[in-house]
Amino acid sequence: MLVPIFTLKLNHKINPRMVTVGKFDGIHPCLTAATQAGKVFIHNPHARGQRPVAHRLSQSTQDSDISLLNINQAVSCLTAGSLGLNTTGDTLLVGSQTNLLAYDVHDNADVFYREVTDGANAIVLGKLGDIQSPLAIIGGNCALQGFDYEGKDLFWTVTGDNVRSLVLCDFTGDGKNELLVGSEDFDIRVFKEDELVSEMAENETVTSLCHMHGSRFGYALANGTVGVYDRTSRYWRIKSKNHAMSIHAFDLNGDGVVELITGWSNGKIDARSDRTGDVIFKDNFSSSVAGVVEGDYRMDGQVQLICTSTEGEVRGYLPASKELKGNLMESSVEQDLVRELSQRRQNLLLELRNYEENAKGVTETDSEVGVIPANTQLQTALSVRSTTEAQKAHVELSISTPNETIIRSVLIFAEGIFEGESHVVHPSAQKLSGCVRVPIVPPKDIPVDLHIKAFVGGKNSTQFHVFEITRQLPRFSMYVMAVDPLVATPTGRVTFSINDRSQRVVMWLNQNFLLPEGTNSPDVTFTSLRGGGLLSISMASSGQITLSTNDIDLAGDLIQSLASFLAIEDLSAEVDFPDYFKELRTTLTEVDEFHCVHQKLTAAIADHSNYIRNMLVQAEDARLMGDMITMKKRYRELYDLNRDLVNEYKIRSNNHNALLARLKCVNQAIQRAGRLRVGKPKNQVISACRDAIKSNNVNTLFKIMKAGAASS
Amino acid sequence: MELHLNRVDYMQVGVTSQKTMRLLPALGRKATQKVAVADQDGVVTCFGMKKGEPVPVFKTLPGQKVSRLDLGGALGTPQEKIFVCSGSEVRGFTKKGKQFLTFDANLTESITAMRVSGADLFLCASYIYNHYCDCKDQDYFLSGDKINDITCVTSPHLARTTPVLACQDRLLRVLQGSDLLYDVEVPGPPSVLQLYNKDGGEDVLYGTADGKIGLLKMGESSGLSQWEIDNDKKKGGVLCIDTYDIIGDGVSDLLIGRDDGGVEVYGFDGSGEPALRFEHVLSESVTSIQGGCVGKESYDEVITATYTGWVTGLTTEPQKAEVGPGDELHMSKETQTKVAALRLELDQLQSKVLQGRERYQQTSQSSTAVSAVPVFSINDKFALCQDDASYSLTLEVQTAIDNLLLQSDVPIDLLDVDKNSAVVSFSECDSEPNGNFLLATYRCQANTTRLELKVRSIEGQYGTLQAYVTPRLQPKTCQLRQYPIKPLSLHQRTHSLQQERPMSRLSLVGQFSLAEIHSWVGFCLPEVPEKTPAGDTVTLHFHNTFLGTQLEATYCKGEGHFRSDNISTISILSDVLSKEATQRKINLNVSYDINDESVNHTLRMIHPKLEYQLMLAKKVQLIDALKELQVHEGNADFLIPEYRSILDEAQHLMDEYKKQPAHLERLYGMITDLFIDKFKFKGQNVKTKVSSLLEILDNYDLNSLLDFFSEA
Repeated sequence: MLVPIFTLKLNHKINPRMVTVGKFDGIHPCLTAATQAGKVFIHNPHARGQRPVAHRLSQSTQDSDISLLNINQAVSCLTAGSLGLNTTGDTLLVGSQTNLLAYDVHDNADVFYREVTDGANAIVLGKLGDIQSPLAIIGGNCALQGFDYEGKDLFWTVTGDNVRSLVLCDFTGDGKNELLVGSEDFDIRVFKEDELVSEMAENETVTSLCHMHGSRFGYALANGTVGVYDRTSRYWRIKSKNHAMSIHAFDLNGDGVVELITGWSNGKIDARSDRTGDVIFKDNFSSSVAGVVEGDYRMDGQVQLICTSTEGEVRGYLPASKELKGNLMESSVEQDLVRELSQRRQNLLLELRNYEENAKGVTETDSEVGVIPANTQLQTALSVRSTTEAQKAHVELSISTPNETIIRSVLIFAEGIFEGESHVVHPSAQKLSGCVRVPIVPPKDIPVDLHIKAFVGGKNSTQFHVFEITRQLPRFSMYVMAVDPLVATPTGRVTFSINDRSQRVVMWLNQNFLLPEGTNSPDVTFTSLRGGGLLSISMASSGQITLSTNDIDLAGDLIQSLASFLAIEDLSAEVDFPDYFKELRTTLTEVDEFHCVHQKLTAAIADHSNYIRNMLVQAEDARLMGDMITMKKRYRELYDLNRDLVNEYKIRSNNHNALLARLKCVNQAIQRAGRLRVGKPKNQVISACRDAIKSNNVNTLFKIMKAGAASS
Repeated sequence: MELHLNRVDYMQVGVTSQKTMRLLPALGRKATQKVAVADQDGVVTCFGMKKGEPVPVFKTLPGQKVSRLDLGGALGTPQEKIFVCSGSEVRGFTKKGKQFLTFDANLTESITAMRVSGADLFLCASYIYNHYCDCKDQDYFLSGDKINDITCVTSPHLARTTPVLACQDRLLRVLQGSDLLYDVEVPGPPSVLQLYNKDGGEDVLYGTADGKIGLLKMGESSGLSQWEIDNDKKKGGVLCIDTYDIIGDGVSDLLIGRDDGGVEVYGFDGSGEPALRFEHVLSESVTSIQGGCVGKESYDEVITATYTGWVTGLTTEPQKAEVGPGDELHMSKETQTKVAALRLELDQLQSKVLQGRERYQQTSQSSTAVSAVPVFSINDKFALCQDDASYSLTLEVQTAIDNLLLQSDVPIDLLDVDKNSAVVSFSECDSEPNGNFLLATYRCQANTTRLELKVRSIEGQYGTLQAYVTPRLQPKTCQLRQYPIKPLSLHQRTHSLQQERPMSRLSLVGQFSLAEIHSWVGFCLPEVPEKTPAGDTVTLHFHNTFLGTQLEATYCKGEGHFRSDNISTISILSDVLSKEATQRKINLNVSYDINDESVNHTLRMIHPKLEYQLMLAKKVQLIDALKELQVHEGNADFLIPEYRSILDEAQHLMDEYKKQPAHLERLYGMITDLFIDKFKFKGQNVKTKVSSLLEILDNYDLNSLLDFFSEA
C-alpha cells in the first residue's frame, strides 16, 4: 500500500490545471499555482524568510512559506521552465486572456510582457522542431504562438478551434519535438513546426494532453474520458462519470515505465498502466483535484509525484520501492486472482445453465419470460428523410422483427451525435410493435458507429432478449440526393484534379453517403438536410473534380475525406466562395475598427485615472482642512467618475469580446482555406495567408485563398 | 482498541437469501467450525476448511429456493441439526447430511422466516405466524403487516418461550400463544431480529431496512429501549446481526451486515454504549453474518455470506507478508494449486459453454424452436430515505451488470450518488408522444454487480418507474422491474399522531367495500399492507418526511375519513380517490371540512426550514467572495464577526448545502401547492397570482407570507 510521504495544507485555493513546479533559483523546486483574485502563489519551504519583498512579489501574511504574485488579471494558464541560458533559474510564465508574462522570480523582474490578442488558454515550454531556442508556446482562440526569451514570436500558426491543451512530444520519432494541440472541435492535431502532420478526431473537447514516453501520449476529454495514444492509434481509453482535471505521466510503481496519473473532479487520483489502462493505484482528496505535477520537493534526489486539490491540499508520493512489487493497493494479488477466476467460473456456469434450460424446451407458454422464436433476427435499415410537416429532416434508422414479437425499447450508444452518450426509444405500452423507427440528426459530418441494443419479447414480458447490433452511420449522412428546383445553385466551388478512375470516386461516394441503390456515376447533386443548400459533385473525364457548395467547411471535409480515401498526399485546388469571402472582408474591416476603438478607450482610461488621483488628493485635503462641504462634493464627483469608469469598462469588455470573435473568424478562415488543400499545398496556403495577415495585405490574402500559395 | 481483520474468501455457492448461513458448533477438541449455507438453487452445502481448501461435508441436490436456515437440536445438547425452509416445507439434516425431517406446513404462502428451538418450530409466511411443537400445530396469529423476521425470548417474567415478530409496519409484535401480548414501535421497518445473548434472555437486537440498529429489553408488558444506533452516514439497510466476542475483551461484540456490503463490528465501552470498532466493505449485500472460527485454529473471525454466494471470512489471522528474492510474485503452494485447479475447471467449462453456444446458434436456423432464457435473479430495493425525502433504488445481480435503462412516466429527478461509478446519460424524451418523462441509461464499469441511485419525486404526481437491467451474460437478456411512485410518495407510516394540530378533513361516503377502499389507500400511500387488515375499521397514521405534516386515515365499509394538517395532502387524496372511484363506476359522496388555521400552521412548520435554507444559500453565496477578500487583505480581521464566522464555517456550510440539492426549490413548490390548494377548496383559481407569491418568497418574511395567504 502506497501512502503519501508528505501532506501540506496551503490555505489557498488552486485554480484547476494551473499548477507547476519551478526551480526559480536554479536549486529549490517551488510549487507554483494560480489562485483566486488574479494571483499566483509560490510555495517555497526551502528558504524561509530570505525573500525580498518588492515589485510584484509580496509575502503572504497567512503563511511565511508562500509568496504571492499579483497578476491583476484572471490567470488562464501557467508554467515554469528554462527559456534560455542567460538566467539563473527557471522562468515563470503566466498567461491570461490578453497577455503573456514571463517573470524571473529569483531576480524579481519581468523577462517580457507581451500582449496576445488571441488569449492564452494553454501553455507549454520547450523545444519545437528545428527552432534553436526553447519556446513558450501558447494556444489561444484558433491560434498558436511561440515566444523565445526575448519575447519575439518565432512561431505562429492557426488551428481549427480554440486551443485547450498543448504538449510537446516526439510524435514522428525523428528526434525532434512536435507540438500536439487539443482543441474545442474535438481534434488532436500534430504540428511539425507549422506543418500539420496528423489529426485524430475525438468526440469531445480535448482538455488535457501529456507526454508518456516515445511517441506515446495521454489525453483527457471534457466528458470524462482518459486514454493513451501511440501516434495515431489509440491504445486504450476509459470513461468515468467524473471529469479528468489533470493528467500526468509518472512511474509510480517503479517498473521503469511511466503510468498515466489522472486527477478527477471528485477528488480521486488514479494511476493506470500505459498499456492496458488497469488501475494500479488510487487515492482520494476531499475536493476536486487541481493539478498533478512532479518534482524533488524534499531535495533528497528522489522525484515525487505531487498532487494538489482545489482547496489547497498537497500530497507527495514517492515511487514504490521494490518490496511492493508493483502492488500499490491494499488488496492481495493472490486473493484477487482467485476471486477473479471464481467469478469467471460463476459466469460460465450461469451461461451454461442458460443453454441447458433453453435446450430443455419450454413447456409452459408463459409470456412473462419473453419466449421468442429462435430464428428471430432483427433487420435494420438506414435512410434519409427530408423535412416533413411533422418532423424535421433526419436520418431514419428502422429496426424491425420478422415475426409477431415486439420491440420493447431500443438503446443506441454512439459517440458525438447525441446529447449524452446514448439515445433511448421507449414506446408507450399501447404503441408496442415489431418495428421501431429512430430519427437521428448527427450534428456534424462524422462517421459514427451506432451500437444498437434492442429489447425483444412479448407484449407482457418482464424479461426480454437483448439484440446487439452495430451499424455504421456514414460520414455525410445528412445529404439527400434530390434537387429542389427552387433552391439557387451554389456560388461557391472548388476545383481540383486527381489521377484516379471515376469508379474509385463512386466507391467513395457509396461509403460516405446514404445513396439510393445503383448509383454509379460520380456526378451527383445533394440537398443538405441541415441548411437546405445544394451540394453537387461532378467529375470530368480528365480527372478534374468540381465541388459546388456554399459551405466552405463541407467542401473542406469532402476534400479531406476523399483525399484520405484515395490516399492522395498533395492536392492543390482552385477555390471560390464569393459569399464567404465577402463576409470575411467585412470581418477584416471590423477588426481594424475594433482595434481603433480599443486604443481610444485605453487612452481614455489613462485620463480618468489621472482625474481620480487628483480628486482623491483634493478630497483628502479638504477632509484634513475640515472643509466638509468641499470634501463631500469631491467624493460625490469621485463616485460619478467611478460609475463612468464602470460603464467604460463594460464598453471596453464588450469591444474586446467582439474583437476576439472577429479574430477567431479570421483564424478560422485561414484554417478553412488550408483544409481545401492537402499536404504541402495546404501548409503553403496557411503560411502564405499568415504572412498576408501580418503585412495586412487583404487582397493578397484573398488571392492566396482562391488560387493557393504557389501562384503568389 | 484497534481491530484489524483480513479478508479471506472461502467458497462460492449460489445466490443466497437473508440468514441462510450458520456455523456448526465446534466438535470436541477440534477448534475449527464447519459452515452450513443454503442458496436459492435449493442446495444446502456444509463444508469445513482444511489447509486453506474448502472440504465439503455434504451437499444436497438442487430444489426449491431456500429462504432461511437455522440450527437446532434437543435443548441442552449442541445445536447442530440443520433446518432449512423452502416454499412451505421444512427439512432437517444432521451434521453429516442425513435428512431426518421433512415437514410440510401446508401454508398457502412460502415461508419467509423460521426459528427452531428444541421441539418448537416457529414459522412465518408473509402475514401468518404458526407455531408447531413436534410438528403439531399449536398457535396461530395473523399480523397486521408483513413479517420480516422472528426470534424467541425466554425470561423469568414470561411463562414460556415468547415469539417476537418483526413486522414491516415498524412494529415488533410480542405474542403469547395465539394472541398479541404487546407491540413495540421501532424507528424503521425492522428487517432482522437477533437475541443479544444467544442462550436466551429477554434482550432483542433489531436492525431496520433504513440502517438503524437497536437493543430492546422485552419485559412483561412492554419493551424497553436500551440503546439505538442512528444511521447518519446513510449506510445500507441491516440484513443480519450476530453477537460474538471478536475483540477479545470478554464482552460480546455486535456484528452487522448491511445490504450495501458494509460489515461492521461494534464493541461496548464501559457504559454499555456501542462504539464502532471495525468497518469493511464487501461489494455486495451481506446476507448472513456470524462470529466463529473456520479458517485456522485459535484465530477468531467474522464469517459472512453475500448475495452472490461468497462465503468470506474477516479473520484476525495476520496476512502473511510474502518476502522472497527476485521480482517474481510469490504465491503460497496452496494458492498455486488452487489457481491451477480453477484454471483447469475454467478450461473445461469454457469448452462446454462453446458447445452450448453452438447448439444455441443452431436452433436459430430452425423455424419451430423457441428461445427462452431462464430468469436471472435481481435483488432490488426501492425505499424512501427519511433524511432527504428521496427514494433510493438499489439493484443487485449475481453477475456484472452491463447497462440499466430507467424510464418513468412521471416527472422525477435522478440524483447523483457517489458510490455509483456508472456513466449516466439522459436521453431527450419530449420529442415523442410516448409519455416518457425520464429516459436514462447507466453504462456500468466492469465488475459492477450492485447499482445504487436516488430519485426525487413530487407529491401529487404519480406513475411508474421502470428499470430494465441487462447483465453481462450470454445470451443477453434484460429484465424489467417496476416501482410505483405513489401520489403521496413522501409519506411514511408512523404510530403516533399529535392531536393538537389544526386538522382538515376529507370524508368519503359511497357503495364500496373495505377491501376496495383499502386498495385505494394502498394506491395513494406507501407502506400500506397489501392485505386488507382484519376488523371492521382500519386506522393508519402517516407523516410527511419532508414537511413533517401528518395524516390520519380511518376507513371502513362505505365510509372513509382522512385528516391532515396539510391541505395539499387532502387535495391530492381527494383528486386521486375520486378518480379511482370514477374508474370503477362507484358513486362517491365527497365532503370537506377545511380548517383555515391549518394553512397558517403548515406555513409556520415550513418557516424554520425555509429560513434556514435561505440563510444557508445566502451564506454559501458569500463564501467565495469573502475568501477572495481574505486572500487580498492577508487576513480576515477587518471583517464583521458575522462574515468571519461564515469563513470559519465555510466547509461545514458547503457540505450542508451540497447535502440537500434543490431543497429550496422543493419548499417553494410545496408552498405554491399549498396556496393553490387553499383556494381550490374555496372554489377560486389563483394560478395567476402565483408569480406574486414567488416574489414574496424571494424576499421571504413569514408575516408577509401569512398576510399574502389570508388576503389573496
